[in-house]
Amino acid sequence: MRALHYATLTVIAALCTAPLLFMVSMSLSSDATSARGEFSLFPTEWEFGNFVAAFTSDLPTGSFLLNSVILTGLAVAGQVFVSAMVAYAFARLRAPGKNALFVVLLSTLMLPAEITLIPQFTLFSELGWVDTLLPLIVPNFFGGAYNIFLMRQFVSRIPRELDEAASLDGLGYFRVFTRIVLPMMKPALIAVGIFTFSWNWGWFMGPLIYLSSQENMPLALGVQVMYATGGAGQAPPWNLVMVGSLLLTLPMIVVYFFGQKYMHELSVTAGSDQK
Amino acid sequence: MTATLDRAPASLRKAGARAPRNREALWFYLLASPWIIGFVVLTLGPMLASAYLSLTDWDLFTSPAWVGLDNYVKLFTADPVFWKVLGNTAFYSFLSVPLTMVASVGVAYLLNKPLRGKRIFRTAVYLPTLVPMVATSVLFVWMFAPDTGLINSFLALFGVDGPAWLLDAAWVKPALILVSVWQIGTSVMLLLAGMQGIPRHLYEAAALDGAGQWQQFRHVTLPMLTPVIFFNLVMGIIGAFQVFAQIYIMTGNGRSMGGPDNASMMIVPYLFDHAFRFNHMGYASAIAWVLFVILLALTLLVIRSSSLWVFYENEVRRK
Repeated sequence: MRALHYATLTVIAALCTAPLLFMVSMSLSSDATSARGEFSLFPTEWEFGNFVAAFTSDLPTGSFLLNSVILTGLAVAGQVFVSAMVAYAFARLRAPGKNALFVVLLSTLMLPAEITLIPQFTLFSELGWVDTLLPLIVPNFFGGAYNIFLMRQFVSRIPRELDEAASLDGLGYFRVFTRIVLPMMKPALIAVGIFTFSWNWGWFMGPLIYLSSQENMPLALGVQVMYATGGAGQAPPWNLVMVGSLLLTLPMIVVYFFGQKYMHELSVTAGSDQK
Repeated sequence: MTATLDRAPASLRKAGARAPRNREALWFYLLASPWIIGFVVLTLGPMLASAYLSLTDWDLFTSPAWVGLDNYVKLFTADPVFWKVLGNTAFYSFLSVPLTMVASVGVAYLLNKPLRGKRIFRTAVYLPTLVPMVATSVLFVWMFAPDTGLINSFLALFGVDGPAWLLDAAWVKPALILVSVWQIGTSVMLLLAGMQGIPRHLYEAAALDGAGQWQQFRHVTLPMLTPVIFFNLVMGIIGAFQVFAQIYIMTGNGRSMGGPDNASMMIVPYLFDHAFRFNHMGYASAIAWVLFVILLALTLLVIRSSSLWVFYENEVRRK
């Protein structure tokens, strides 16, 4: 029985990881192997030069990476700070109309992004933001409904004593937020930071719609461009495409392992939410 | 409300109550203003604009021409591709989501057993979900390659002559479903967390009653997991109906995605083509609203039907 468990799990683990091993092996293949399209699970060639070639080819891979870092960095900063601030307001401050606004916030979760896609595109075109990263970055500075909801739940579970004591000491609401509540929100900030990172780092449709010049594209779109360079009827330069794919995948893995324990902390607190 | 305030003299509390209240409300609106402004400018406004545009004919350059419900009428009566698109999307979603779910329950069940090296297996199952969809798509283009790809090479070992997958109208959707099953990690982890939250005494009681492994799974694990399964189901369906990057990259690479013969054309790629390739902004807006209604209907359906099969631990069943 036990052996059967192990055997089944080993097969499942192999099925899950084999494509990734192929990704690595393909990225290290020579151009000739790449053109034939025949690769092996474990690398038989070690063309580390591909990692240099990816950056010195006709495509601006360096810019792809830099744009991804700029896009993702600013998106995370904006999304995390603004969502936390709005969440604090919803969790702690009393105001007429607040509950109605919260219902509106929750109902926007039901709205698929495709509904607002075309008017947003025309809005950003009017602003002259097409072919810049702005339409992809700026919306994050208005917070995200899901993140606000998540963080509001988190703040609601932080005891009020500390911020009430601080407010009696004459600290204003904004200062109470930045000095008292924000530091206590760390697990939630990290979780939202990781969600926002993963979403923006791999985001394909937004960059595809807004960006036309290669030097403005993030890597997620850049990998597709690398893949498409072959032209009709011609095989893609698999080795370089996989170098790009690895560059796109590795930061996701690093961030995931870095944040894992914080995510766990959050899921524990969120799970105990039912009173 | 709080100990400190209660200790203040009653007269002082009453007199000072209104001004701080107003100040507090003002700060609420100040701190919430980014979201409120964002909601008006990026959600509510565009939503109304989109509803209006769906009733017009608009190519982005001339001003929108009012056509009433023509776009909707055309979608359902004069656009045979749209029916195919709806069928494809439903086929993809209703196969990939339940398949992923069944596979996830199985994998989570195995991972929940006390095994050595559990962490390694868990990591292996989760890794695919960390690969961005663009990288996944290009990788699977090679895996599905008819002659040299991994999958057909593997099938050839058993003497099976594999199909042309992405190039075959009959196999392109199953291929896309396989990709989604590869990324079961997220739902496995959620289910696993759910399984670990099931109190041990339930199993002990079941064992005392003579329940075997399968019966424990069927009558303890599965009922206790239904809230998680339910959540995964709703989110999975919503996600599957909005599939885009895979289609764009794997089925035509942007030149004419959704092929062959529109066998893999789905709602969002179809919307994208009308909006950003053909400049049919009005028509594309109408597609967006149809998608919205479908997602809303599906979500409500799943929520409504949940009382039939979702079991919450704290719930008192009414007979």
